[in-house]
Amino acid sequence: MIVAEQKPLSEIKEIIAPYKKILILGCGTCVKTCFAGGEEEVAVLASALRLAYKKDGKEIEIEELTIERQCENEFIRESAPAVSRNQGVLSLACGAGVQALARRFAKTPVLPGVNTTFIGVLEKQGIFTEECSGCGNCRLDIFGGICPVTRCAKKLLNGPCGGSQNGKCEINPETDCAWQLIIDRLKALGQMDNLRKYIPPKNWCTSLSGGPRKLVREDHII
Amino acid sequence: MSMNAQSRFQEILSKGEFAVTAECGPPRGATPEVVRKKGELLKGYVDAVNVTDNQTAIVRMSSIAACAHLLQMGLEPVMQMVTRDRNRIALQSDIMGAYSLGIKNILCLTGDHQSFGSQPDALNVFDIDSMNLIRAVQTMRDQGKDMSGFELNGPPRMFIGAAANPFADPFEYRVIRLAKKIDAGADFIQTQCIYNMDRFKEWMKMARDEGLTEKVHILGGVTPLKSAGMAKFMNNKVAGMDVPEPLIKRMAGVPKEKAVEEGIKICLETIAELRDIEGVHGVHIMAIEWEEIVGQIVESAGLTPRP
Amino acid sequence: MDKKFIPKITVFHCINAFTEKTHSIFVGRDDFEVKFIKLPCSSMVKDIFLLRAFEAGADGVVVLVCPEGQCRYVEGNIRAKKRVAWVKNLLDDIGIDGGRLSLSNIAAGDTAAATQIIDNALKNLAELGPNPAA
Repeated sequence: MIVAEQKPLSEIKEIIAPYKKILILGCGTCVKTCFAGGEEEVAVLASALRLAYKKDGKEIEIEELTIERQCENEFIRESAPAVSRNQGVLSLACGAGVQALARRFAKTPVLPGVNTTFIGVLEKQGIFTEECSGCGNCRLDIFGGICPVTRCAKKLLNGPCGGSQNGKCEINPETDCAWQLIIDRLKALGQMDNLRKYIPPKNWCTSLSGGPRKLVREDHII
Repeated sequence: MSMNAQSRFQEILSKGEFAVTAECGPPRGATPEVVRKKGELLKGYVDAVNVTDNQTAIVRMSSIAACAHLLQMGLEPVMQMVTRDRNRIALQSDIMGAYSLGIKNILCLTGDHQSFGSQPDALNVFDIDSMNLIRAVQTMRDQGKDMSGFELNGPPRMFIGAAANPFADPFEYRVIRLAKKIDAGADFIQTQCIYNMDRFKEWMKMARDEGLTEKVHILGGVTPLKSAGMAKFMNNKVAGMDVPEPLIKRMAGVPKEKAVEEGIKICLETIAELRDIEGVHGVHIMAIEWEEIVGQIVESAGLTPRP
Repeated sequence: MDKKFIPKITVFHCINAFTEKTHSIFVGRDDFEVKFIKLPCSSMVKDIFLLRAFEAGADGVVVLVCPEGQCRYVEGNIRAKKRVAWVKNLLDDIGIDGGRLSLSNIAAGDTAAATQIIDNALKNLAELGPNPAA
């Protein structure tokens, strides 16, 4: 899923400062799972802002609503009445959701309430890790199911580098060296020969480096 | 080992001489005088001088420029090139530019992560890795083609080097990696500085057993210790370093005023041992910001005059 | 002359940690006003309930949980502890001081502990003053 983290309260206060009547719009999918922007988080943020404003002797009217997903019009349109009642929308969805809202509600300022970070998994309750950077050309088959593009800080295809020590990455003693993981996995799979193979330079055209991407499925368009 | 390169450094190694190289760090500024001063300290004591490329991701004068300054003084530079800051377009461009200036040796590296450096906010590149870079230079040299297959107007005939770290993990894999670098096109190897001689000898044995020492010139890296504190710091805080406890104790066991002397003694002992290891064709002295000590070490090691 | 500050305290309590005896310690005092919120397990103390208590005018909030290792739902009191710590930080960010919120472990019927908890809360609130966002 997409992992995001709610912005610090001080930053959110700055962002919504120009508005007296806002809608905090939550999203029930990815950001709900990582506790950044689901229904509960909308409620907590609204309450926190009301307390903060009261303490500062200022006024604000906050409406709260959460829709299933903010990346699809089918759900976004459900929020239209609420959006029209407010001066601005503080979206707690990922960056894609914020932009989808902005596209539809061109006359209402749509503001980001979370920092979208990565595509990841739930390693265990409360811990999310980055796994995929969407390079557009997946070769997890040769790397034993561990992505060196995402999980190696230097994106090495012929790793590891000289900074790998005790299975940890040089940039953070708590980060596993992806190449140590790859070597261990290939050993377990009996595929150590993969390590002798020279992997040529990656074609980055399919990644963000080639510009923002688009997927068109003609078979689904009428 | 290629006959296509034309560097003096390669000539010395091909003749079977025990080679000596040292490191020169460019200044954090545009003053060429700093480079010239370092060059003066090394002249006559080394066969080639490695010029680092924004080492530890600290912004410095470019390696290619500093190499050009050293060339003008009659020194033979080894241009270090990392893949952290430049994409393949810029790397190939700089390789051709360097060769056109008379720089004939290159050390292909990945580079320390920018989070260690002076501008950690920067976006890193890592378009290709050091293995890809080695292969790219080999292709430019031997086939006269760039990475797109374009026939170059004047191929850069570089003598190609790579780094090896016998002290990083995982140990068994390090020799596979060495073999891979040689296959990709490495002509010479400079290792991370050696304090754990046992581990280094083990690695050399594995390299010999795989026949790798017939295919590449290996230069053992050394760095003279200045204090017990430095030894401890390197062991604990520098990635991929192995400083054995007995060595740290030895440095701690002498009075502070004698520490430098002891460090140099250890360095000389290391060099002496290196000369006896089959497959080691030289020593690479990395006296970081202490270039003045190189001459003394080379002399005391009985390695002067240089050919 | 200023009216003496009589703090309003909301007590969230786990029904297993709180008996009639403990209840009697909290009521009948004139130095604070108390509101009780009963929970089947202290782990049910959601962030939003704590915040809403402050929105409703509480000057201080006390959360009472079973002693560690004695939660009948095993880790309920640990979850409560983590949540309370999180909300305390949020209260600091809001600017009304996380010190207004506290969590205490209390064995069922321990009246001495209950008295201590009240006294600590009152001492705290005397320093912090009324809720500036009430």
